[in-house]
Amino acid sequence: MLTTVAQAVVNGLLIGGIYALVSIGVTLIFGVVKIVNFAQGEFVMIGMYISYFLASSFGIDPLVSLIVVMPALFVIGVLLQHLLIRRVLALGDMPQIFLTFALSLLVVNVALLLFTANYRTVQAPYSETAIHLGAINLPVAKLIAFVVAMTLSAVLWVFLHATDLGKAMRAAAQNRDVAMLMGINPDRVFSVAVGVALALAGAAGALLMPFYPAYPLVGQVFVLMAFVAVVLGTLGNVTGALIASLMMGVAESLGIQFVGADSGLIVVFVMLLLTLALRPSGLFGGRSR
Amino acid sequence: MRRFTSRNTVWICLLFGAVLAVPLFVSNSFAIDICIRILLFAFIGVAWNLMGGYAKQLSLGHAAYFGLGAYTSTILLIRYGVSPWIGMLVGGIVAMLASLPIGALCFRLRGPYFAIATIATAQVLMLLFLKFRDFAWGAEGTTIPNLGDAPLMMQFEGKAPYYYIVLALLVIGLVVTYCIERSWIGYYLVAVGEDEDAAEAIGVDAQGIKRNIYLISAFLTALAGTFYVQYIYFIDPNTAFSFNVSVEAALVSIVGGIGTLWGPVVGTVFLEATSALLQSWLGGGHGGVQLTVYSLILIAVILIRPAGLIGIVTEFYARLVRSGAATAKEVRLDA
Amino acid sequence: MPEALVIRNISRRFGGLRAVQDLSFAVNEGETVALIGPNGAGKTTSFNLITGYYRPDAGSVFAFGREIVGLRPHDICAHGLARTFQVARPFGKMTVLANVMTGAFLRDRRMEIAREQARQAIDFVGLSAKEHTPARDLTTIDQRRLELARALATQPRLLLLDEVMAGLNPAEIDQAVALVGKLSQRGLTIVIVEHVMRAILAVARHIVVLDHGQKIAEGNPREVVANPDVIRAYLGTDYAQAASVGERQC
Repeated sequence: MLTTVAQAVVNGLLIGGIYALVSIGVTLIFGVVKIVNFAQGEFVMIGMYISYFLASSFGIDPLVSLIVVMPALFVIGVLLQHLLIRRVLALGDMPQIFLTFALSLLVVNVALLLFTANYRTVQAPYSETAIHLGAINLPVAKLIAFVVAMTLSAVLWVFLHATDLGKAMRAAAQNRDVAMLMGINPDRVFSVAVGVALALAGAAGALLMPFYPAYPLVGQVFVLMAFVAVVLGTLGNVTGALIASLMMGVAESLGIQFVGADSGLIVVFVMLLLTLALRPSGLFGGRSR
Repeated sequence: MRRFTSRNTVWICLLFGAVLAVPLFVSNSFAIDICIRILLFAFIGVAWNLMGGYAKQLSLGHAAYFGLGAYTSTILLIRYGVSPWIGMLVGGIVAMLASLPIGALCFRLRGPYFAIATIATAQVLMLLFLKFRDFAWGAEGTTIPNLGDAPLMMQFEGKAPYYYIVLALLVIGLVVTYCIERSWIGYYLVAVGEDEDAAEAIGVDAQGIKRNIYLISAFLTALAGTFYVQYIYFIDPNTAFSFNVSVEAALVSIVGGIGTLWGPVVGTVFLEATSALLQSWLGGGHGGVQLTVYSLILIAVILIRPAGLIGIVTEFYARLVRSGAATAKEVRLDA
Repeated sequence: MPEALVIRNISRRFGGLRAVQDLSFAVNEGETVALIGPNGAGKTTSFNLITGYYRPDAGSVFAFGREIVGLRPHDICAHGLARTFQVARPFGKMTVLANVMTGAFLRDRRMEIAREQARQAIDFVGLSAKEHTPARDLTTIDQRRLELARALATQPRLLLLDEVMAGLNPAEIDQAVALVGKLSQRGLTIVIVEHVMRAILAVARHIVVLDHGQKIAEGNPREVVANPDVIRAYLGTDYAQAASVGERQC
């Protein structure tokens, strides 16, 4: 019994790492640019497809493809901010929501047209292997994904706290106007924020390939998880998003183990509803009044 | 605005007359079907617009009420033989009751996070109905018995009666919106939509307003759900609680003109017409084309004309009657 | 004279910051009281506590004899307290008239009555010519006027004005002072947060001084201006000493 629970927890943590990459991206964009990226999941999907095509055309391992995926998505992020997001910043909540939402629809459906709804998978040498710690099973692919995800998160943390650009981003997140007065160029900061967020999403995609299929709608599952994690971890709080994502992964995993195979989603929603009911500002937020 | 009232009324009457006459002149089943779809989604859009357009509470989970309406009337019909006319009203009430706890939870979040919470609630309902075979037929759904021509059970042989029913629903929706828009409720709604805190400072009970408009919006949306089941003779959780319904409800209002009376109608006509053209052009079967085009339109509207297409319509109308005050309809709520 | 507003030992902290500490003061009916203090002293937070946007961690607020802590802002407004915001928050989409009518609806839901009440408030602040202008197209100063008109339309008994004079030129300040004076003559109780000394001295008979969330002085303008604690709060210790030396020499 204890082993089952422990295994479920471990499984949850491992996948939680991926959720973390996605949700950190969402919360980063929200914190700095003050806009919710409904399309975040689609960039995970793009990461997966890039990784898939590199693997199927050139035999490149998904982990190696990170070198291509992350910069590519960073560039896409910068372009996205520069071409689209910048134009709606002044328009208010609603156009912003619908812009990223429309973007999400657009990307999913273009993907459907280009790639069809078929699942694409990549078989890496480690896709099926696992390490055994006592009675606990650690699938290698997931373990690697987790380790890389945590490493990237740590790197991001260092970036945000120890570099000038990172501090500028945090400053802009706290108070855009004052940051501008201090000489911080908001455009540049926003571009970096979006670029980084998308790079993380793409990384999540590449890390997923060895054990998860790619298909146009794959992003939607992850983005829903990510959003709940962002709310739970308090909007704009990167560490919060990380911790909340791990919690969500564990909760989902325990749900699947003990309630039923398709109950993972219900568990997640229940967590969202509980958060809303009990602590709407998230685990790390203050009181709302 | 007052100066043109009698002129406006004339135009509206002409328009209404034309709309009423459509089934008399159009006998092509496919064409009538499109018209019905347009009217239905315009109605759903109008219902959404009350909340999303005026009060700026962007729900992306209105399918929850669509589905509740659809399932309530169907359950009452199949299990208890209750006429869908009554079932429709009961469905509306069920939806209203559901909107209370959903609203209580979701209104704790603002803006996009409210939207996400509403998506979640619609999904939860879909999952629940997928699971519960006992009273709601689970994933396979059910068809409703074909009773031939049975007006009292909301079933008809031809398509024309359905056309008139959904038209009546749309008219009801528009009348409700019109009355609200011109009353103190309309002012309060827009105030809450613009700045909830500032509204509270001048005595507006923002929570109460949001709750009440949600009740109305949910009720109307549920009516649409019942109609839809009766029209297509089938229901299942994926259709009833479909995210596409939620999306289109919001989409038509935004594209057409959010927070305006005719916006959802304009938006629906535009989007459905485009969609129908595309289908006949490309011959259907291309899964993602419709939504791709919709999303491109949405992006274009947001970037170029966030207030929606209705601005173009009113300018056209103004030029048509050669009036001096071109944007009579746009400067709303000025007395 | 009966007390319109009684603040008793209210406190509020945000995380580690004690924004307001154990604040108490009273405002008599019909009086105009100024709430002053350096930036960050807790003036706007006090307004937010009084009008229900934040809940005090401790203490009570009585308005016209009734405890209002815990009430939502709209109930507090219905009870007779209206406020303006430091940065004007008009309903941009609506016209001036519609904005003010929204305020008027609190007292009477009928369109014609509300319109009439609104027009009176708009006339009072001098915005009649721009009745049909969308609020987002107004200048900042006109938006402030709109803010005031909207608050007045709710027929308050107590008006809380948050830095209405910030950024005004001397002529505009005189106009604003005149408006406040007229309101006071009508019997309105007014609490005004302000930095412009000229205006404060012109309208307020009683001043409460805050610094770092605490009340450091209270009294009539002459007393407050000469108070060394007040001088120290605004200008630092050196000036306080110089001031007290100067006083002795006079």
